[in-house]
Amino acid sequence: MITTVTLNPAIDREYFVDKNEVMKNQFIYNEEDLKIYPGGKGLISAINFKSLGYQDVQNIGFVGGKQGLFFEKMVQKQDIISNYIYTESEIRNNVKIIGREPATYTQYNDYTYQVEKEDVKELIVRFKRSISESKCILISGSVPEGVDFDIYQRLIKIAKDKGKHIFLQASGEALKLALESNPDIVTPYFKHHKTILDMEMKDKEDYIKAGKEIQRRGAKRVMIPFHCDRLLFDKNGDVYQLSPRGYCIVNWLGSSDAYNTGYLDYAFQTEDFDFLEANLRGGAAALWIAENKEIYLQNREDYNSYLDRLEINKLEV
Amino acid sequence: MSNVRDYMVRTMNSVTPDDSIRKAIILMYRSEQSVLPVVDHQNLFVGTIYSNNILKNIIPESFGFLDSSRLFYEVNEAVENLKYVKDEKVEKYMARNRDAVKEDSDMKKLADIMLNNKESVLFVINDKGFLRGFIERSNLLHYLLDETEVQTAAEE
Repeated sequence: MITTVTLNPAIDREYFVDKNEVMKNQFIYNEEDLKIYPGGKGLISAINFKSLGYQDVQNIGFVGGKQGLFFEKMVQKQDIISNYIYTESEIRNNVKIIGREPATYTQYNDYTYQVEKEDVKELIVRFKRSISESKCILISGSVPEGVDFDIYQRLIKIAKDKGKHIFLQASGEALKLALESNPDIVTPYFKHHKTILDMEMKDKEDYIKAGKEIQRRGAKRVMIPFHCDRLLFDKNGDVYQLSPRGYCIVNWLGSSDAYNTGYLDYAFQTEDFDFLEANLRGGAAALWIAENKEIYLQNREDYNSYLDRLEINKLEV
Repeated sequence: MSNVRDYMVRTMNSVTPDDSIRKAIILMYRSEQSVLPVVDHQNLFVGTIYSNNILKNIIPESFGFLDSSRLFYEVNEAVENLKYVKDEKVEKYMARNRDAVKEDSDMKKLADIMLNNKESVLFVINDKGFLRGFIERSNLLHYLLDETEVQTAAEE
């Protein structure tokens, strides 16, 4: 059983129009111009794992209200096992308006979702009993309003006490606190500001400093997005830079989730784990998503064909 | 051959024997499920909690027939009873049946089990007994409709 955790999922709605203009009624008649799908970092990886052939993949988190039930139906349609705590408050809806001519992109991010303390308590109880079949847990994404920032720290501690491996993708205060529970793999992401552990990221040296600091605070291995590259921090202290060659990015959405999937899929399949090889698989999966108009991976063959377009160089630090 | 896996609903929505009846009721109305699986602390299926069972225990005498002249009295009695019952454990009201089906069971066998037991919902487990979800009559009808259409296509 693969377990992914998405505490702050959303219904993502994309509207494609010829020209996005304010104060103008738009009419959408074509089904292709309206896309509604379940969003959330851990969930996208869960769908990817399913596409790669894993039989049992569950997604744990909160969903709310009647729209939460609709969200859950969409998740179940992907053959993912839903494992949600139902809240009174309605789930988030993110709206994206994409104009074709000129090419525009307007996004309305919904941060109204509210979780009660009783629901958080229930999530902890549910998480405890739901990870018994999993060896590795992927925790990814933001934390909703009403949930304390130490939630990842608490979940990781529960999992580590049961001998599970943790892959964490987080940001801000939640990341900072989570490190105290010693997650195995950490990949920070930028949310509103380009900071990691309150350190501003400008030059490569800043990123390297941040990666080292994440390791010093408790993570075994770290991968930090650095423009279109990744800086890789192995557990022996070595630092590498993963770079794609000759790429053309058409889509960012889903690429970091694909990276996480590619990395973990390699880890699940091999008995002789190699950190750099795992990152090559992750990088290839991310590159495949970035160069295609897809959010989800479809199969290993697609992205493995991108492996020779990636290179890894050791950095002298 | 179609398996239960092809038609089931995948969800871990569940309670444990230690949970309160209040928690089970909240989960039932928020998830819109009037029957919930009961699992242990490892997510192994151990039984079922029915909303009907809870109702029977709070309106014991007149369950199934609420006389309109007694309705007000009955509802008040139910509210009074629920004040005590809500804090009791699921363990006390659950059915310790083991009528779960395995996800790789043949859908034809499922029809037998579902109709013979008069169950509208059956919980689905894997080979080791871990919960995987549920299957209900509408899923069974979905399967039967698919079979009908396959047969019709073959006859044409």
